[in-house]
Amino acid sequence: MAIVPEFLIKRIYQKGSLKKLENGASVVLKNVLGPGFISGFNYVKINEVVFEPKDVKFITNGQELLGTEVSEDNQIAFRLGQSGTLVMTGQECVAEGVNKIIIEAMNPEAGKVILSVEDNA
Amino acid sequence: MEVLYDKYSLIIDGKRVFIRSGAFHYFRTPGENMARDRFQKMKAAGYNAVDIYFNWNYHSIRRGEYDFSGVKDVRKVLKAAQDVGLFVIARPGPFINAEVNAGGLPFWLLRMEDVVPRNRIGTEYKYSEKYMECIAEWYDQIIPIIKEFDNVILFQIENEYATDTMEEDYMRQLYNMVRERGITCPIFHNDAYFAGLWADCVDIYALDLYPYINPNQNWKQDNFCFDTLDNVEDIFRCAKENSPPFIAEMQAGWFDKWDGSGYKHIREALGDEHINIMTKTALSQGVTLFNHYMAVGGTNWGDLACDEVYTSYEFAAPIDEFGVPQKPYFKSKELNYFLESFDLTQTEPKDIDFYQENIYLKVRHDLINNCDWLFVRNMNSEVTEVNLPCGKTIILKPYDMKICPINLNLLGCEIEFSDAEIFARIRNEEEETVFLMADSFANIYIKDCEKLSANRKNYDNFSMTKNGKKTQFVFLTKELADKTWKLDDKIIFNADYILPNGAVAVEKNTEIAYYDLQYKYSTKVCLVDEFREVLKEKILPIAGVDYCSPEIDIDYDYSNWKKIGNKTDSLSCELYDEFVWYKTKIPNTLTEITLSARHLFAVYINGKEILNRNSYKLEKLQDVPETISVPLNNNILTNDLNELTILVQNLGFDKGFSGDTNNPRGLVEFKTTPEIPVEFSVCEKLALERRDWRESDNPYLTKITAHFDIEFKDNVFFAHYISFEDFRCRRATIYLNGIKIGRYIKRTHVQDKFYLINEFLKPHNTLEIVVWEKDRNTKSLWGFKFDMKNVKIKLGTFKKYQLFK
Repeated sequence: MAIVPEFLIKRIYQKGSLKKLENGASVVLKNVLGPGFISGFNYVKINEVVFEPKDVKFITNGQELLGTEVSEDNQIAFRLGQSGTLVMTGQECVAEGVNKIIIEAMNPEAGKVILSVEDNA
Repeated sequence: MEVLYDKYSLIIDGKRVFIRSGAFHYFRTPGENMARDRFQKMKAAGYNAVDIYFNWNYHSIRRGEYDFSGVKDVRKVLKAAQDVGLFVIARPGPFINAEVNAGGLPFWLLRMEDVVPRNRIGTEYKYSEKYMECIAEWYDQIIPIIKEFDNVILFQIENEYATDTMEEDYMRQLYNMVRERGITCPIFHNDAYFAGLWADCVDIYALDLYPYINPNQNWKQDNFCFDTLDNVEDIFRCAKENSPPFIAEMQAGWFDKWDGSGYKHIREALGDEHINIMTKTALSQGVTLFNHYMAVGGTNWGDLACDEVYTSYEFAAPIDEFGVPQKPYFKSKELNYFLESFDLTQTEPKDIDFYQENIYLKVRHDLINNCDWLFVRNMNSEVTEVNLPCGKTIILKPYDMKICPINLNLLGCEIEFSDAEIFARIRNEEEETVFLMADSFANIYIKDCEKLSANRKNYDNFSMTKNGKKTQFVFLTKELADKTWKLDDKIIFNADYILPNGAVAVEKNTEIAYYDLQYKYSTKVCLVDEFREVLKEKILPIAGVDYCSPEIDIDYDYSNWKKIGNKTDSLSCELYDEFVWYKTKIPNTLTEITLSARHLFAVYINGKEILNRNSYKLEKLQDVPETISVPLNNNILTNDLNELTILVQNLGFDKGFSGDTNNPRGLVEFKTTPEIPVEFSVCEKLALERRDWRESDNPYLTKITAHFDIEFKDNVFFAHYISFEDFRCRRATIYLNGIKIGRYIKRTHVQDKFYLINEFLKPHNTLEIVVWEKDRNTKSLWGFKFDMKNVKIKLGTFKKYQLFK
C-alpha cells in the first residue's frame, strides 16, 4: 500500500508531456512533493504496452540512466522542483486521444509508488 | 485564556507569543513525577509549550470503559505542565500515530462491525457513522479533562490524514465536535504531506517536517533534504494566508525500528547540527510556532509499541529516554534563550540577490525590534567563507547555521552586524547584559566603533554606553554555554541543568556562579555525595530460575479458556495482549498443519516443540506474510488425540500511517491436512502475568528472577538500566515489579540496555525475565536451568545528579 495518496502522486506528472516517439514514448515528471530518491523503476505501462526497466531511460540533471541501473544501491536524487524525462523505447504504444499511463517506481521511504494518469499525445 | 492569531503569530491574552514547543508522551514517560521532571527540564531549556498526544488506546480497554487513574491520570500530567509554566498543545487524535499500538485507536474499535477506522481503507475514503459515534465517546471523555486547563492554547484534530479523494466531511465533523464540546482555542491539523491539506477545515494550517527519515541516508551529503523546509513559507502562505506558520512536528530526532541501526547511530548521525539547522531555517521562513518532535524520549513499556518499534523510543531527542539532557538539548536551549531574549513574532522576508554553492541565506526584517536578521547556513563539508550581500564576509564551519543581527538597537549601542551569535539577554530599563557565543571566526561590528573579534575566553566582556544607558557584552564558549542557564532575570553558570524553582543539578563538585543586573556575580559551592562508584555496572545475583509455561504441559487444564470459532486472529478473539495461547486436540490421522501468525510463534504438540518461528520480516517496508506448513508423523502425533499448543507473540498492531490499523495479528490462518474442523480454546498473557505460579515440566519459557535495592533521595535524580550485553538467550520479556518494561530480541541488535522506569522502581525490587527459547537451545531440563542460573544481567546507572536549592 502506498504511503502517499494517489492524488498527490499524480501531481508529479507534467500534464500534456506525453510525446509519441519513433518506436516508443516519453513523459516528463516534476517533483512537486518534496526532496527524495528514486530507488527503482519497476515498469511503465502505456495503454496495454508494458515497458520493462531495460526499455526505460530516465534523463534528469544531465544524467541518463536505464531503469535497470536504478536500484537501492544506485538511487537517483530527485530534488523538490527537479524535472526528469522518462523515455520508453522498443514498442509502439501511444494512441490517438486519451492514453492511460502507469509508472511504478520505488522510493526508499515510501516503498512502491504507483503513478496512474491519463494524457493526450 | 484568550488565544487569537494573525498571519504572524499566536496572540495570547493580547500579547504576541513565539511558541517554542517540544513533544512529550506521558504514556511513554509514565506518572506525574516523571512528567514533572521532564517538563521542568524543558522549561529550563527555554521551551514555553509542551505538545501532548492523548492516546485513546491507552485509556480504553473496552468500549465505554475509560481509565484515567494512576499512571494514566492525565489531569496530573496537565497540572504538572501548568505548574511548571508551560502552554499545552493538545492532540487527542482520535488517531495519533506516534508509533503506538494501532496508532492510538482502541482495540475494541478495530473489530467492531461497520466501523472503518479513520474513515478510510488504504487511501480510499469510506465514511463510517459508527466510527464517528465512537469518536464522540472518546471526545466526551478527554475533552472535559483538557478543558479544565486554561494553558491549552492549540487543539489538533486527526493526524497526518489524507485520502485519495480528500472529502472534507470527516474533518469538518471533527472540528464541529470539538467546538460543540467547548474547546475555544484555535484548531489545527498536522499535514504530513506539506501540501496544504485540510487548510480550509481548520483555523491554523500546520505541517510536519522530517528531512531525515532513513538512517542510511547521509543528510549532510544529501543536503537537498532541506528543500521543503527552505521553501516552507510559500507552502504556508499558499495553504492559508491568514494563519501563522506552524510546524506542528519539526524533526528533533527520529525513531528506530526492529530492523534499524540503533539509537546510538541516529544520535551520532544527527549530532546537534541537525536540530540547529532545522530550527534556524524554520525561523528564516517566518515560522513562529514550532514543536520539536520529540523533545523527550520515552519507553514502550507494556504493549504500547506498534509492530515497527522496539522498547526504547529514545528518539535521539534533546532529553533522552532516561531523562538525561543530550547535545540537542543544549542546542535547543541556545535557540530558545535567543528567542526569549528577542521577540521574532513579526517579521517579513526581504528580497536579496545571493548565490553561493551549498550556502543558504535569508534575511528577514523584524517589525518589533526594527532590525534585520540574517540567516546563513553552510552545507559544505569544509569551513567556507561567505560574502554577504551587506558587504561583510563571514566564515562558517561545516554544517553550521547562524542567526546574525543587522542594525540591532540595544540600550547602550547599535550592532551593525554580528556573526558572533547571541546566546541570551537580561535587561532592565537602564542596563542590559547580552551574552554572546565566543567564536574564533566571528566578529562584532558596533556602530561608531571598530570591528571587535569574538575570539574570546569565557566571561571576557566589554560595555557600551549611550544616553546614560548601558549594554554589557559577555562571551561564553560553547562548553560554558551548555552549562549556562537563564532563569527569569538571572543567569546561572556551571550547572549540568537547573529546575524552574532555581535548584541546580550537578554530577560532581562544582562552583556555581550566579549573575543578575542588581547583585552582579555571586558563587556557591555544591559538594555532591559520593556516588561515582554507583556508576559502575553490577552483575545481578540470580535468585531463582523457574520454568513458567504450564500451558504447554500435557494435561494442562484449559477447560475454562475461551472457545473460539473459525476466526483465530487476535481481533476476532478479542485478545489484544502481546501473548496469546491457542490450545486444542488433534487426531493422529493428520499429515500436516499449515499456519500463519504475527509476529513470533511456536507450535508444541504433546508438550514438545515442533516449530519456533520468527515471522516478523519487512521487505520494501511491507510486512511479509508467511505461511508455513509443518509435516506431522507418528513420532509427533503419538496418541489418538494429541495436544496442540500454539503461542503467538504479537509485537503490536500497525500504527496506521501507511497500513491499516486492523491488519490481523495472532494466529491469522490455521488449517489441517486432511482438513478437519478445529476448535481452539484461547487465553492471553503469560502464566506469570495471570498469576498462575505453578512450575511447568517444559523449559520453553523460563523465568529468571533477581532482586535489587534502590536508594531514593529527594535531592538526587538517577536513571538506572539493566544490561543484556552478555546475555546469551535469543528472546526475553522483562518485568519490573510485575510490570512489563521491555522486549529483548537478540537477533536485531538494536537494544541491549533497558531503562528501569523510575515510576515503577521501589526501594526493594523484583526483576523477572521470561526467556522464550528454541528447543535445540534448552538441552536437558537440568542443564538449561543451570545455564540460566549463570546468565549475566547487569544493573547500571546512566546518570546521577544531585540537586541543590
